[in-house]
Amino acid sequence: MNKQHTIISPFLKHEDGDNISSYIESGGFQGLKSALMLSPSKIIDLITESGLRGRGGAGFPTGVKWKYASQPRSEIKYVICNADEGEPGTFKDKLIMEKAPYLFIEGMVIAAYAIGASKGYIYIRGEYSKSISAIQKAISEMYNHGLLGESIAGNSFVFDLEIMLGAGSYLCGEELTLIESLEGKRGYPRIKPPFPAEKGLFLKPTLVNNVETLANVPFIIQSGPDAYRKFGTEKSAGTKLFCISGDVEKPGCFEASLGISLRELIYDFAGGIKNNGTPGAFLTGGAAGTFIPPSLIDIRMDYDTLQMNNATLGSGAIIVLDNTKSIYNFLGSILRFFKHESCGKCVPCRIGCYNLLKIWEQCKDHPECYPDLEKEAAYIAKTSLCPLGQSPILSIKSALHHFKHSI
Amino acid sequence: MKETISLIIDNKKILATDGENLLKIAREQGIDIPGLCFHEKLSPTGACRLCSVKTNKAKGLSMACSISVSEGLEVITLDEEIVENRRQTLLHLLTEHNPDFDDTYLDEFRSLFKQYEINPEKEKNFINSGISFKKEDNSSPVLTYDSSKCIRCFRCIKACTEIQGKNILSFADRGTESYIVAGTGIWDESECDGCGECIQLCPTGAIVEKPHRKEIQLSKIDKLVKTTCPYCGVGCQINLHIQNGKILRSNGYENCSPNYGRLCVKGRFGYDFVHSPERLTNPLIKKDGVFVKASWDEALTLIAATFSKIINQYGNEAMAGYSSAKCTNEDNYIFQKFIRLVFGTNNMDYCTRLCHASTVTAMIKSFNSGAASNSIEDFENTDCLFVTGNNIIETHPITATYVKRGAAKGMKIIVCDPKWTPLVKFADVWLQARIGTDVALLNGIIHIILKENLIDKEFIETRVDGGLSAVEPLRKICEQYTPEYTEKITGVPKNLIQKAAITFAKAKTAMIATGMGMSQQKTGTHNVFSLINMCLITGKIGKELCGINPPRGQNNVQGATDVGVSPLFFPGYIPVSNLANREILAKEWKVPVEKISDKPGLSTIEIVQAAYDGKIKGLFIMGENPLVTDPNLNHTKDAFKKLEFIVVQDIFMTETALEADVVLPASSFAEKDGTFVNSDRRVLRVRKAVEMPGEAREDWRIIMDIAKYMNVPIGKYVNASEIFEEIARVTPIMRGISHERLDQQGIQWPCPDYNHPGTPTLFLDEFPTENGKAKIIAVDHIEPDEQASEEYPIILNSGRILNQYHSATMSRKNDVLNAYGNESYIILHPEDANKQGFTENEKVKVFNQRGSLETKLYISEQVNKGEAFMPWHFGESLVNNLTRDSFDPFSKIAPFKLSAIRIESMNIGKDNKDKISGNGQNI
Repeated sequence: MNKQHTIISPFLKHEDGDNISSYIESGGFQGLKSALMLSPSKIIDLITESGLRGRGGAGFPTGVKWKYASQPRSEIKYVICNADEGEPGTFKDKLIMEKAPYLFIEGMVIAAYAIGASKGYIYIRGEYSKSISAIQKAISEMYNHGLLGESIAGNSFVFDLEIMLGAGSYLCGEELTLIESLEGKRGYPRIKPPFPAEKGLFLKPTLVNNVETLANVPFIIQSGPDAYRKFGTEKSAGTKLFCISGDVEKPGCFEASLGISLRELIYDFAGGIKNNGTPGAFLTGGAAGTFIPPSLIDIRMDYDTLQMNNATLGSGAIIVLDNTKSIYNFLGSILRFFKHESCGKCVPCRIGCYNLLKIWEQCKDHPECYPDLEKEAAYIAKTSLCPLGQSPILSIKSALHHFKHSI
Repeated sequence: MKETISLIIDNKKILATDGENLLKIAREQGIDIPGLCFHEKLSPTGACRLCSVKTNKAKGLSMACSISVSEGLEVITLDEEIVENRRQTLLHLLTEHNPDFDDTYLDEFRSLFKQYEINPEKEKNFINSGISFKKEDNSSPVLTYDSSKCIRCFRCIKACTEIQGKNILSFADRGTESYIVAGTGIWDESECDGCGECIQLCPTGAIVEKPHRKEIQLSKIDKLVKTTCPYCGVGCQINLHIQNGKILRSNGYENCSPNYGRLCVKGRFGYDFVHSPERLTNPLIKKDGVFVKASWDEALTLIAATFSKIINQYGNEAMAGYSSAKCTNEDNYIFQKFIRLVFGTNNMDYCTRLCHASTVTAMIKSFNSGAASNSIEDFENTDCLFVTGNNIIETHPITATYVKRGAAKGMKIIVCDPKWTPLVKFADVWLQARIGTDVALLNGIIHIILKENLIDKEFIETRVDGGLSAVEPLRKICEQYTPEYTEKITGVPKNLIQKAAITFAKAKTAMIATGMGMSQQKTGTHNVFSLINMCLITGKIGKELCGINPPRGQNNVQGATDVGVSPLFFPGYIPVSNLANREILAKEWKVPVEKISDKPGLSTIEIVQAAYDGKIKGLFIMGENPLVTDPNLNHTKDAFKKLEFIVVQDIFMTETALEADVVLPASSFAEKDGTFVNSDRRVLRVRKAVEMPGEAREDWRIIMDIAKYMNVPIGKYVNASEIFEEIARVTPIMRGISHERLDQQGIQWPCPDYNHPGTPTLFLDEFPTENGKAKIIAVDHIEPDEQASEEYPIILNSGRILNQYHSATMSRKNDVLNAYGNESYIILHPEDANKQGFTENEKVKVFNQRGSLETKLYISEQVNKGEAFMPWHFGESLVNNLTRDSFDPFSKIAPFKLSAIRIESMNIGKDNKDKISGNGQNI
């Protein structure tokens, strides 16, 4: 465990959620207190300098997002925490919410102060009942301690926070779809642009950040961007929660600096392949992710290195398959997942995801159909409305590239 | 103001407004980009992905419908990759789309096959794709939904939500198995009221209209005729589809004010009456109490002889005429010319007397103008709307679409009505004042506005007669109307009165819509004075998006008075006493000025009274049905029995026609050319679409014929356009209007010359009074002269429902409209119902000292305790048997909205699931 570089992990030691006094004892809300003494633009500078990137999957620079949202377009603005963790193989936000709810809410309050929002929503996956009760308790404690509501920590800053439950749609984790759902509508993606920072919730400027992203914020404010940059690489600063599942000895969620090698994660953290087996493939980033072959096990797990290798870090999920598992079957599971989760709004994704599964079935006895599979996925990716349609191509292309003969 | 930018589409430089939609711009330029989910009336959806283009601002393909243009944008709309991508998308759609086609709808999808070289039979298609998913809903009276034709483009959902503000449609299920549902799943059980906006916008025939589907073949349509809807006063432009001389479809005419393609259930499905077998086709003469078919010559000879005889025997003032707001301006102009020159009297009136006479009286006193000050479109853009005594969603459904769109954008809405109306769902405040207490309520509101000093001093100083000192008498009267006192009189909680007052006064712009609930009262004129006072002290008139508007009930109720059917006014609201104008008319009509009477004539109810008193002997009725629409009907019937000679020209054998001596077959709106004037003073064209049945004639030609047989020349006209030219010459507010100018769009009067564009908002610079200023006329609350008593403990209110229309002569001849409700009922508060042990749907007798009727009882909190409501459309349960003819002394309007009644059980309980109102609201 000595290689586990930690920013968030120290707060994850409580079994049944934190309570506010122990959070304060362990240094909680220092980030918020420091932040409230700074100007909003200074905070945004600190976040920008830290190099923090969105931990929900896209890896967009957080400081840039905040800066855009902070522009004075409207008196009413919103901060939304995207806690609709739904990417297969991903369970990091769940841990933060259950065990360190104050940490990410503190980050959220700082974000609200920085962009000038006075209302926030946590849009949380409806099945996460334990997280929901932990957050509910945390919010009410924070109101009691004057850390939410009117005049936060004795300042003139006002911020109210509400929880909204998702109803089981994978797509509602996509930020504009999430906003539609939050507005009480069915979860369909919106045309982009306008981006949420311009016209988001109720068409007001809105900042949407992932739970883990926000959980990094108090540390950055309190310890400074340089301290944060000590973790990770030049372009992928900080640590990341990796969710390792599948054929490993010790599946779980591990915090490590970005740039750690896949081998270290599998062997040093997750205890190696189950039953001393041989690795067959690694799926990084969940269903919307990419296959990595065992030959690339020394790859550095940061945004850019993975991208250069046509792979993705995504949400930080790593699903491990040993060499007895069928890539073909696993790909089928992914395609079934997308057919099921495609909302049906746009033609290419609605019909294309149906077609992908049909072509995949044909491929079983007719490997010559694989190019059709890739062609269909490419058509969907090129034409679809939202990121969901751009996702099946990732697993299909990487599977066909790396496992041309073994699939 | 958004700036103009330049962009390049396919190497062509185009100027556009910054932020405008690329697909819309491209199509306006004639550039053919496909797109099935896009409709210019709707927000972009981005669902069909057919409008792929390339731009210099993004990698790969972009969708034109999803791009807001900006300076320097360069677009390629066609290359090999784009064509292939679009073809792929079309092929994908084909796998879930049933290609059957029956030529009863426009198929935008099918029209793309040829261009993109798609052979639907050869390609992998619906039948063998494996998706072939089919779900149908045939339950609606107006449409069928077939999911196998549906391409999930969202246009119907958005039509229902964004255009009509109804929010009824949505998708059920997900992905390829998603399908459209209305409400919770079954169309006929949903709140759908049959407006058919979804039908009009469906691009693939998934939603098709039911009526005449077996007959209509779009490839065999002979002609499309653009004309004006014959129902309410919105003046919707419709596009009639004529096949074999018959109207088989009515679509909203797109891109044209005032409705921009929108219609309600009546405008879209209410045309079957035109071809009803019950239409009158021959002149009929009553012989020994029985109508006998006659030739025109026979009928006209009899009419001429009898009218002449009465005039000779009793004098000109023994004659009177009832005209009709359903007829064109041209018909009405000829009618008033006939009454004035042939009958030699000003004894003429029509339904306006029973409708907005009090509103007009009050407005003329204050502003010297009685018409709506704003445009229908303004109902979307004002900041605050005060709707009083006006069930606008049911009675002016298309004006209401603007209101609902405004509400979606945050417009504040105050509803003032003793009965729940569907608009309450959209309202910020509902003031449910007891019937007959409007002046008290408005004085209470004014009290708060004065007390909180929310008045517009500058406006009062510059635009109100007497300036700030004119407010003092009002302040004095309103002093006592404290919130507590007002609550005591009206029953409205004081906090709501407070909220309404502050919301209205503080809004940057605010408009008032006032309806029959205000005008059809004994204090109708005073009610409207109060409204005007509220407007004037807050400066909510005389500016854009501010003003007072009486939405007009009939298609041409505005126009008929505009062109002079009035006992008091010549065309253009010029008093009959005005000698200079009589001279102008005499010259135009080629008669000596003495021939034109300067004596104010009798109004509607006065005519009835005079007939009862034996002073009126002969009556000529064009298209009016007073034996249903007049108050205190038993008295009216007695009066009619005393008349010596009654001539009715109509399209149906109405309750009134049955009492006539001669009945003449006239023309419907679809059979003649002419014009109507809608609620916002917009003169709109009416065009002949089909031939008249049998020997029926155009109304104005019948009148000309009678004049000819009576040997009194009243002019020579080849067509309606010539009549309008004469109207323009003698009507200053319409002087600049002609049929020719109205060809594309209507024009709002005043329009003083041919270069004038018309006037969307009145009073912007000054009021048309002598000193240019408006008058505050302070009024006090007067207790209603009819009160609930032990004998008659309930106060009855009456009104209309969406799918029926007035005396229902036209609307009940349409099966589709009847499917949404064709039965009389009375709504009573649960507490009152319990007192008498009534049960829902029970048959009851409703009566008072004036008359009685039988109907069905609904129990609902839609009405106040002690009050009841009935729709008055149904001839078998004549509400006007119960109403009074004790009229408002200033406007002579009758108090239709307040009659003390008693309800008693008829003890024949009957279960019936009919809906309570046109749009299925049953709360």
